[in-house]
Amino acid sequence: MRAETLRGHLDFLLLAIVAVEPAHGYRIIEELKRRSAGAFDLPEGTVYPALHRLEQSGLLASSWASGSGRRRRVYRLTARGRRALAGARREWRGFTDAVEAVVA
Amino acid sequence: MSPSYLSELDAELRAVGIRGSRHRRILAETADHLRESGDAAGFGEPKLIAARFADELATNGARRVGFASFLALAPAGLAYAVLVGLVRTWPDIASARLLPLALATAVVFVLAPQVAFAAGLLAVARAWRLRSQTAAPAAEVVVLRRRAAVALGSGAVALAAIAVFAYEYGSGLPGWWSPTAFAVSVAAFVPIGGAAVALARNGQLRPQAAGAAGDVFDDLAPLLDRIPLRLRGRPWRFCLLVAAAIAAAAFIAGGPEEGPRNAVAEFVAVCAAFAALGRFLGLRR
Repeated sequence: MRAETLRGHLDFLLLAIVAVEPAHGYRIIEELKRRSAGAFDLPEGTVYPALHRLEQSGLLASSWASGSGRRRRVYRLTARGRRALAGARREWRGFTDAVEAVVA
Repeated sequence: MSPSYLSELDAELRAVGIRGSRHRRILAETADHLRESGDAAGFGEPKLIAARFADELATNGARRVGFASFLALAPAGLAYAVLVGLVRTWPDIASARLLPLALATAVVFVLAPQVAFAAGLLAVARAWRLRSQTAAPAAEVVVLRRRAAVALGSGAVALAAIAVFAYEYGSGLPGWWSPTAFAVSVAAFVPIGGAAVALARNGQLRPQAAGAAGDVFDDLAPLLDRIPLRLRGRPWRFCLLVAAAIAAAAFIAGGPEEGPRNAVAEFVAVCAAFAALGRFLGLRR
């Protein structure tokens, strides 16, 4: 998939992944690839600016977590992020239903 | 993990103005990621990653500061309206302690709140227009920052003018007015100072995204494109329209005695401000 097409939906996808459970950046990116069967494959480093921005907007929160002798930044969804995700899901379903109705 | 990749990213982050705790955090997250993946090439070019951080954080931060600036000015605007509205009789202009300072303050007292309000509204308009953009062109971000800066600066100057005015004309004003004006000026300065700090922090970021800055016709397109006067691309026509509307309001509010004088003064002030600040604030290209 073209990077620019994916980028328009990246926030929604990241929120959806973190909603399942808190995760660090590498895990989030791997989850994004795994769930999309490799279709969503961005330069990995470009996901981190989006994570920082979502945190700046109050949709994600993060903290350092230690384990296996290393510190990792773990992201989790905030209450505001949960509401934003619910809204984005509704909007996405409405859009895909409408597109499906036209092209089917 | 690749130490050379990290040192290159370190330099690129500094080049786009990312320093301090965020800089350390990005490097730590990147190091952790590369330890796991072992693939620096798949992470992206350091220059691209640093630019992406600067673009996204600057756009998002400037947009938030744009809204916050207008909100931060609200207490000052309310205080100004109440203080001015409760004075029944204004003191004689010549009764000041130091007349030249008092006259200059009186002019600022009238003009600064209007500049703050206009620049604040323009900041909100630009912030709203950029609401769905994750990485706006750097030129757009610069204009938004300038509008917020002018709004906050004019708001602070207006508060200072209220305090100086209260000092200069204290004897000719109701007894409660001056102490209240001093207290309100200090209190209303707090949110303006907070927004100014956030703006200064955002200003350290140097976004890289290419693109034009846009103008007021882009910001207010949903409104201006409905007016059948072919304003787009004609900034001075837009300026004259706004100046005429404000002059008409001043004429009506001032009544038969002061209305004509106030209307002319407002018309000239709006045109002068447009000439002085129009390009700086992205009102015209």
